[in-house]
Amino acid sequence: MSRLTVDGLVVEFGGLRAIDDLSVSVESGELVGVMGPNGAGKSTFFNCVSGVLTPDSGSVVLDGTDVTGAPPERLARAGLVRTFQDTRELETMTVRENVRLAARDHPGERTVPALLGSDDARTTEDAVGERADELIDTFDLTHLADAYSGSLSGGQRKLLELARALMVDPDVLLLDEPFAGVNPSLTREIAEHIRALNEAGTTVVVIEHELETLTDLAERLIVLQQGTLLVEGEPDAVVADERVVDAYLGGGA
Amino acid sequence: MGLLQEILFGLVTGSYIAIAAIGFTLIYGIVNMINFAYGEYLTLGAFVGLLASTALPVPLPVAVVVAMVGGGIGSLVLARGFFTPINQTGPVPLLLTSIGLGIALRNVIRLVAGRNARYFETETTTVRFDSVPDLSVGPVDLLGGFFVTTEQLTVVGAAVAVFVAVHLLLTRTNVGIAMRAMGDDEQLARVRGIDTQLVRDSVWILAGVLAGLAGVLMAIQTNVSATTGYSQILQILSAAILGGAGSPYGAIVGAYVIGLVIALSTALLPSGLTGLSTAAAFVILIAVLLVRPSGIAGTEVREA
Amino acid sequence: MRGLDRLPTGRGNRALLVGLGCLLVGGLLALTPLRVQLPSALYVFVEVGIVFVIYGLLVLGLDVQYGHTGLVNFGHVVFFAVGAYATAMLSAQDTFAGVGLGYPWPIGVAAGVGAAAALGFLLSATSIRLRDDFLAIVTLATAEIFHSLFVNLEGLFGGNVGILGVPRPIASLVADGDTRLVATVFVLGGITLVTLALLTRLTAAPYGRVLRAIRADELVTRSLGKPTTTYKTQAFVYGAALAGLAGGLFALYNGAVAPGFFTIQVTVTVWIGMLLGGAANHRAVLAGLAIIMGLRLVSRFALTVTPISGDVFAAVRLVVVGLVLVAVVRYRPAGIWGNPRELGVDR
Repeated sequence: MSRLTVDGLVVEFGGLRAIDDLSVSVESGELVGVMGPNGAGKSTFFNCVSGVLTPDSGSVVLDGTDVTGAPPERLARAGLVRTFQDTRELETMTVRENVRLAARDHPGERTVPALLGSDDARTTEDAVGERADELIDTFDLTHLADAYSGSLSGGQRKLLELARALMVDPDVLLLDEPFAGVNPSLTREIAEHIRALNEAGTTVVVIEHELETLTDLAERLIVLQQGTLLVEGEPDAVVADERVVDAYLGGGA
Repeated sequence: MGLLQEILFGLVTGSYIAIAAIGFTLIYGIVNMINFAYGEYLTLGAFVGLLASTALPVPLPVAVVVAMVGGGIGSLVLARGFFTPINQTGPVPLLLTSIGLGIALRNVIRLVAGRNARYFETETTTVRFDSVPDLSVGPVDLLGGFFVTTEQLTVVGAAVAVFVAVHLLLTRTNVGIAMRAMGDDEQLARVRGIDTQLVRDSVWILAGVLAGLAGVLMAIQTNVSATTGYSQILQILSAAILGGAGSPYGAIVGAYVIGLVIALSTALLPSGLTGLSTAAAFVILIAVLLVRPSGIAGTEVREA
Repeated sequence: MRGLDRLPTGRGNRALLVGLGCLLVGGLLALTPLRVQLPSALYVFVEVGIVFVIYGLLVLGLDVQYGHTGLVNFGHVVFFAVGAYATAMLSAQDTFAGVGLGYPWPIGVAAGVGAAAALGFLLSATSIRLRDDFLAIVTLATAEIFHSLFVNLEGLFGGNVGILGVPRPIASLVADGDTRLVATVFVLGGITLVTLALLTRLTAAPYGRVLRAIRADELVTRSLGKPTTTYKTQAFVYGAALAGLAGGLFALYNGAVAPGFFTIQVTVTVWIGMLLGGAANHRAVLAGLAIIMGLRLVSRFALTVTPISGDVFAAVRLVVVGLVLVAVVRYRPAGIWGNPRELGVDR
């Protein structure tokens, strides 16, 4: 059974079809790349799959359950986590708070345990704190742990988004342009993290413009154009495909 | 008093609320703020008009024009002083500032003008239609004798003139077209080379003129006191939202609906409860925001 | 004392202890023959102090709603009013106008809190998704509607006269005027301090983290799996319930309720107090409220000294209050003690 399937997805914005009858699926444990020229519908596709947008028709199925139009929180609890292209870190909170926030099923986040300062809440918060610090360390953000995330640089924000997404312990991770605006060495670092994650069993779908990085990283590529599937398959084959070359150089969006 | 009489009152109320609501809704659509001090703009207009007609003195129509001019200038000065500097901070700080400004203005006016209400001296002709028969349905008289005063006709007439003028402004003048463009999409308007600050200033002036007119018309009908305008702010707000925040045409429709609702509530509620008629307007406001927040004209107020 | 061992913040501790201490003192004064003498010069302080601690519950509730969760509630006085009227109507014994059912006062207070919470729930169920400024308008309009109902439905609510004959528990226990005042301020102050302690715990816990995350960016918070609508509703209802409690306590202190006590001025005072002190900081908002209410004290003193009429003073005070709000929003949006980075207003 595939992990994530979209079937016949259609999204219209005021008469314009952003997604036009899209059907793709992602198997468990895959590392799939999604590419396409500007306006191809990549982010809209993510929005449908992560509950931010309800498609006008078609279905989204996660692990065999139909989640079309389900709200983002339900999808996150089902194990699907996404990052945002325009790094929405919570600016009025510190890096540490950002990451701790992402912990799942924390008793301290409910009224009664919080008021009573229950044992459960305390121990969980201690464990959460430890795991958060680990993740912050993994992404080399320790020196910024108490800084308000609004003061981070672009690359650091990407790392924070990743750390936070991992804190939720996802089964399926959707990364929306994790390399955009990031310098080459940091790009390699992030790619390494993603590869390690995938090897540990997480299904990963990555949207990216950085073709070289994407083709290195992904085992399969999906190319979108004007809301539909253009080509999909192994990276080398896809990149060499005429239609793809055309789309990027010629027709495009 | 028959229903017909109440409806006529409702049309008059609707008229001056409509004039004010156009200004209010333009501010909302173009400056992106709910101006809770707007009631005070009406009050200022009323006082300026009163001063002009008693102190100078000038004939009433001239006093009305003076009130409009005063309203426009006052509005621009207040905007430049209080709202323009914090334009980029978002709807909540602007709303809070307008609330604070409104309180301060209202009380300054109270300090200067005192507690007592003042009255315009006007000569009105009342036309009575007493021979119209009652048409009773239960405790309510549908028709019955009614009257119309020239003051009321003036108010309605002024409103119609304003609607036409505003329409012409928005469709035939550069400023007006720029206003509509900005109201639709500010980014796009800026990209097209529209001087957004100039347009905003123009909207403030226009809103001030309309508020001044509405205020003085209202004062002629009722009286002038520190709370003249404030007593109408929620009705004006309701009219604007009902009509679709940002749409002047919607605001006109919304205003007459509010005016009629108030009139009908006054007519139909048992005599002890007529004070609830304004509450009826707020109930409509809430209902609209919950059911169809985009109002009659269909603009956007809810977040994704 | 195992409970104290695991309190998460020192601040919550202290307030709790002081609060319980106050309740103890107040209780002693009320229940035993102990008496105090209050120099008459201090009367006005204690009286304003009583209003301050009642309003303190209002500002704390609003701080949870707006300071922490970002919900712009501009009708807060309606919960105060509903709590007060419910308490009054259930417990009043000899009211001249309106309904008074004569039940024991604890039932009255419980009803007050319940009614306010129910209204809070209703409002949030219908309006919590509205954009900020429109939520402000809905809450404000709701407050005006209820005000209109209280004034007009004389048979139920007693019109402008209101509901009289509400039991006054402390007054009935203590005959001596001085002691009664002091006992009241200690009991009510104790309640407010305990509330402060509990709220501090709640918001310092991971629960508060979720609220602040919602205020920062609701979509991201949802994308991390948090049911934000539930949290927003809870924050709104808790704030409403606290205001209802304040209303009930007010009714039992005053012995009467009337529409004149529940105007938009109350909402404005509480908002300015919160913004001036520093939203999202519970102690700061109480301090901010104290400053604003200090202005009342000043004008009461000035009244006794100068020949200007009470009306004029009220108007001058309101001008100052309005300008303070404008100034705080423009020049110091984080207030005196608030954290600009936390509130997103560092410019």
